[in-house]
Amino acid sequence: MTLEEKMRMRSPWIMHFDTGSCNGCDLEVWALLTPRYDVERFGAVNRANPKQADVLLVTGPVTKRCEDRLRNLYEQTPEPKLVIACGDCASTGAPFHNCYNVNGGVDKVIPVDVYVPGCACRPEALIDALVLGLSMWREKVQKMVGEEGR
Amino acid sequence: MEVITYILQLLIIILAPLAVGLGAGIDRKITARMQNRLGPPVVQPFYDIGKLLAKRPMLLSRLQVVFAGAALLFHAAALALFVAGGDLIVAFFVSGTGSICLVMGAFSARSPYSYIGGQRELLAILAYEPVLFLVVLAIGLETSFLVSGIGGGLLIALPLVLLALIPVLVILLEKSPFDVPTAHQEIMSGPYVEYSGPYLAIMEVARWFQLAFVFGLVTLFFWSADPVVSAGGKLALAFAVLFVTIIIDNITARLTRGRMVRFMLTVGVGLVAINLLVLFVIGQGAI
Repeated sequence: MTLEEKMRMRSPWIMHFDTGSCNGCDLEVWALLTPRYDVERFGAVNRANPKQADVLLVTGPVTKRCEDRLRNLYEQTPEPKLVIACGDCASTGAPFHNCYNVNGGVDKVIPVDVYVPGCACRPEALIDALVLGLSMWREKVQKMVGEEGR
Repeated sequence: MEVITYILQLLIIILAPLAVGLGAGIDRKITARMQNRLGPPVVQPFYDIGKLLAKRPMLLSRLQVVFAGAALLFHAAALALFVAGGDLIVAFFVSGTGSICLVMGAFSARSPYSYIGGQRELLAILAYEPVLFLVVLAIGLETSFLVSGIGGGLLIALPLVLLALIPVLVILLEKSPFDVPTAHQEIMSGPYVEYSGPYLAIMEVARWFQLAFVFGLVTLFFWSADPVVSAGGKLALAFAVLFVTIIIDNITARLTRGRMVRFMLTVGVGLVAINLLVLFVIGQGAI
């Protein structure tokens, strides 16, 4: 692993977005930042700003009202980026599947890299997803660098 | 001898912001330990800068980048002037211009969040610049305005002035109770909100240069004839001041912008004034 790759892997900045969740998964996402799970030891900080974020943590089924906002946030996040769908609702729509006001999972609107199961998803599972996501991110970075010919 | 001095000065100009970055890492680690967390590695700020530089740039307006570059240049120039033994007042004003460039950069983007951040940064400048200026004046009146002419005895003569520098550093380090420009609970990144990737890294490095200048002012307070003792004492004093700001950060909540300005313009200015008054009275008595 080169120094540049190491730097990228050691500093994933998080942005959390709620697309209509019941607040269960949101609390688990926030638990990540508390002393018990402390993802800051991996270099992750909550920036709440798409322009400065690397990892989008999306919770909840994507309601039709939220669709444009989610797409907007995704487009404002600079490459290389990572999208993690946290919880059953964000992954598939779960009980809200086929509701008239809901799109289903996050992947109906923006491409998703990692799905985290659970209702609500466990913080341990979220940490696992982050670690898995970072290894995928590395591949993404290498592909991006290859495309740009840098 | 001359050449060695130049090389040493150049080394300090390059190493001082890196030391501030390391200080930021130590700060995050100590804060985490105080909150019973493990915290990121000490070199985390460098990882962040490296990652930001490697991100794909997203440009909002060219003017914004110009201002980011200008802020970096002015802060670096202020530190260079300081290290080269130049005039403290000139270095102070050059550093102040760098701060204004940060605000102009925030205003040059068409974004309400960036505007709020810029306005708040202006208020922060209004709060800390008068105190910083009085600190510079007090140091100059006590010994010399030229950094190269400043000798020992500042800590004994001006203890309250050093105390007045601590809230200034609290504002500059964006720590509570005075983290008004980048209020984390509501506007998150303040004046930096529209910067991303490499441009955010430029702003971050500019801030490191600015902090290196202010920590340089702190190191002036310790002086010894022995260069090794002098350097060690200066580092220890700078770290002690950093540690005090970390403790203040962890035991306080953010105050409103009005209270920040009021505190700095009364207590901050008052501390420097009392110190100078006492010095003046003692000086009169000696005569």
